Amino acid sequence: MPIKEFKPLPAQPAPVSTTGPIAWLKNNLFSSPFNIVATLLILSGLFLILPGLIDWLFISANWTGTTQDACVDDGACWVFIRAWSQQIFYGSYPSGELWRVNLCLFLLAVVIYLSFILPINLRNKVAIPAFLALPFVCLLFLDGRYLGLEYVNTDYWGGFSLNILLAAASIIIAFPFGFLWALGRRSNLPFAQSVSVICIEFFRGTPVLALFFMGSVMLPLFFPEGVTVDKLLRVWIILILFMSAYMAEVFRSGFQAIPNGQYEAADSIGLGYWQKTFFIIFPQVIKVSMPNILATFIMVFKNTVFLLVIAVPEILQVILGALTNSKWLGGHATEGFLFVALVFWACCYSMSMLSTSIEKKLDTSHKH
Amino acid sequence: MNTDHQASIHNMNEDIIVIKNLNKWYGNFHVLRDINLTVKKGERIVICGPSGSGKSTTIRCINRLEEFQRGSLTVNGVEMIDDVKNIEAIRKEVGMVFQHFNLFPHLTILENLTLGPIWVQKKPKEEAKAIAMKYLERVKIPDQANKFPGQLSGGQQQRVAIARSLCMSPEIMLFDEPTSALDPEMIKEVLDVMVELADEGMTMLCVTHEMGFAKTVADRVIFMDGGEIVEQNTPDTFFDHPETDRLQLFLSQILQH
Amino acid sequence: MFYQKTIEQIKTDTRPSSAGAKAFYNNPKYRGWIYQSLLLIFLIAFFYSIISNTLSNMAAQGIKSGFGFMTTSAGFDVLMSLIPFETTDSYTKVFIIGILNTILVSIIGVICSTMLGFIFGIAYFSRNWLIKKISIIYVETFRNIPVILQVLFWYTAVLTTLPSTRDSLSIGEAFFLNIRGLYIPRLIDEPKSFVVYIAIVIAIVAIFFLRRWARKRQDLTGEQFPLIWSSLGILLGLPLLALFIAGVPFHFEYPELKGFNFQGGINVIPELMALAIAMSIYTGAFIAEAVRAGIQSVPHGQTEAARSIGLKERKIMSLIIVPQAMRVITPMLNSEYQSLVKNTTIATAIGYPELFTVFAGSALNQVGQAIEMMFMSLAIYFALNMMISFIMNQFNKRVAITTR
Repeated sequence: MPIKEFKPLPAQPAPVSTTGPIAWLKNNLFSSPFNIVATLLILSGLFLILPGLIDWLFISANWTGTTQDACVDDGACWVFIRAWSQQIFYGSYPSGELWRVNLCLFLLAVVIYLSFILPINLRNKVAIPAFLALPFVCLLFLDGRYLGLEYVNTDYWGGFSLNILLAAASIIIAFPFGFLWALGRRSNLPFAQSVSVICIEFFRGTPVLALFFMGSVMLPLFFPEGVTVDKLLRVWIILILFMSAYMAEVFRSGFQAIPNGQYEAADSIGLGYWQKTFFIIFPQVIKVSMPNILATFIMVFKNTVFLLVIAVPEILQVILGALTNSKWLGGHATEGFLFVALVFWACCYSMSMLSTSIEKKLDTSHKH
Repeated sequence: MNTDHQASIHNMNEDIIVIKNLNKWYGNFHVLRDINLTVKKGERIVICGPSGSGKSTTIRCINRLEEFQRGSLTVNGVEMIDDVKNIEAIRKEVGMVFQHFNLFPHLTILENLTLGPIWVQKKPKEEAKAIAMKYLERVKIPDQANKFPGQLSGGQQQRVAIARSLCMSPEIMLFDEPTSALDPEMIKEVLDVMVELADEGMTMLCVTHEMGFAKTVADRVIFMDGGEIVEQNTPDTFFDHPETDRLQLFLSQILQH
Repeated sequence: MFYQKTIEQIKTDTRPSSAGAKAFYNNPKYRGWIYQSLLLIFLIAFFYSIISNTLSNMAAQGIKSGFGFMTTSAGFDVLMSLIPFETTDSYTKVFIIGILNTILVSIIGVICSTMLGFIFGIAYFSRNWLIKKISIIYVETFRNIPVILQVLFWYTAVLTTLPSTRDSLSIGEAFFLNIRGLYIPRLIDEPKSFVVYIAIVIAIVAIFFLRRWARKRQDLTGEQFPLIWSSLGILLGLPLLALFIAGVPFHFEYPELKGFNFQGGINVIPELMALAIAMSIYTGAFIAEAVRAGIQSVPHGQTEAARSIGLKERKIMSLIIVPQAMRVITPMLNSEYQSLVKNTTIATAIGYPELFTVFAGSALNQVGQAIEMMFMSLAIYFALNMMISFIMNQFNKRVAITTR
């Protein structure tokens, strides 16, 4: 019997009723009576709200000017944000010295960038010391006294740059503490374990606002008589302790994600406890914990706004101050809050996108 | 008309599945191209072909796990249209076994088996349990009834999955690569159950790479490639005298060892 | 001789620190004890210095210690209280009012955020593109904005722009919304109202027995009973029937404008409204995310298998998807509820008189005994969170799977 040659049928285009924009509309917006009603309701709602909103936000908004009098149109008064922009970003830091704040932010960006692009063999050796040194370098620059620069009291530090730097400085110093507490919690030394558990549970269970309050009313009592500790420093200590507790839990789940074979392999080549922990386990824990570390950072970053309760001039406190300024009593709360919300949303959303993409990468690299 | 239909139910030559010019697209990708297939009651069909050839998609269309855009499909006289009643009627007649078993992990083996009889067929609990135990005995694991799926081996889980489908007393059984996810030593226990089922006259459509099973059990072997049926024949002709170069190539690749 | 000696030498040289191996400090067990002793010494020194510093600081500043202040009169008024309060009442009462207000806003928050979270979490799986997008936008917007900003936004930008009491927005002259908050009618019992309450109790008991009967009947005959609809019918019907038999033994006390303010009815102050709205929306976004993750954790094969045995879509949801999704959702709900309770402390920013504002805030300002008062407040938050944890763990046990 002769062998027939197999000729595949040509692919046909999908019927118009199942692809194309009309099919998409039918499947995604009008697939059932319920969906038709829902779609119509939502669309009519959007038509009611959106034009007015866009008009208020952009079209009739006031964009140029320097004083409240410039806000003549019905729309939003973005002049308010403009006039206060330096305060919103830098607080009361002296205008001539702003380069110091910018330098700190730049250094932070550089170190973060380095930790992503450095080759793996250098990454831990360079990035970790750089990270740990960063908060103190920034302190030196912002304070200025020991570098021969103009001294700027911490009362003048503020604005959104303070939110960023404080959150970053806290999570960086919280790294070693959190790691230590996580090790303590996992260890089989009963006393070390219970101390770690108490620390972690206390700082996780206490409302962060209560911690800030304690920082301002109780912490001063703990220092020797006559010693006054700077308010921002106390806040920093509180944030570090708070973060350490959360980071400890992040690391704990990181430890659990590491296969047992890694510990056994480390034992089999004869490494001691600390060698094993630092050279074999630590890098892997950091890697698998990355998405959770970012999530924790987002949390603390959002929580820095809570500092307004104890009158630290962070971004929202600046806005609240501006709202009560006698030259700006026109009621610009909505504009101010929307702006702060937008700034935080942009930062947190991009970080959570980053975290999701890292998570996906990890997922695939585990499965191959 | 009605009496004719009644009479023909007992006719072994009745067409139980009729697929005519079935076409399916994923977006703009043409996955199934003019599938024509008629299955008679009691017939055992094995479908094979390279991966991505549309064999799983074809049998998943039969119980409407996949929709199709053109053509017609009739199961046991009920036409597959976009109507809940028809879909339900067809699903009652068609059982399906999956590659990854898909047992319900939060229910015990017995609960997995009685779920359908109780909630779909509205049977009393004791009766449903009796049915479940009957089929568990047939797949030879009655002693596992109160365990959870996670405690069973892959082969055992797949046998439970077969029993779960049988509890609904289907007319047709679909097997979607039932042994592909199993360790080699467990394949036989599942195939044994399937052979036994075939001997009892169940209408079966199996997507599988087990050529031994195809040779001994199948009435007809179908080869698919590129979303179309390339060739179908009795196992003897299929394996010994392939009609097309495409099947020849496929057989030479899988039967090399 | 020479040869042997070398071997001996090599042996001693290559044996890794043969002397050190015997040293006690290389034994992991002793090492552990050394670390722990060091830790203990550090902690003792730490706490010793803190306590001595604190004592001397307190002595220098003239701060008293002990709980004597709890019985003295507070001397300030509280904005809102669930129990009667006068300025002459003690700090103990302030403490209790604070706890009650915290619990009130927590309960409102838990209920509303759960509803929002489940609605938007399920909406993510809608076949309607708009509904799905709205769910995504809701979650991504509100969880990425600090909750304190949201509270201030509702309080300052929305609620304080409401009209004055004279120009209140009203629905049917019964509900009024103005700058002083929301006024709703209060339900006043009349003598025969107990009949209705009894009917409600009977309805609940009846539903309980109906469920048992329906389950038994299904076990025996296989027939299913429309439980949800009949339960709803009993729950609504029975009290309604009692209401009319007893001749509607209730009347409403409507809020009325008298002078500059409303009298009567229930007043929901704007602080409570702002806090409850913001907490519900913020926590709701996190719960929606948890619900989405929970439902997504159930593999699609489960749905396919359920379909292949002929289960209807609604039964697939209630018998297959929900039980498995809840195992993932419950632990996340637990932590979301706990952070909600902790987040109620931001009420301080707008002055809603919950525990933190009135006790760790106003009262502490007057008394000055920071240590006692902070720890009393913290103890309450820990207790509340433990309670949530306990309830959720009990719930988790019911949904948890025995083995996987």
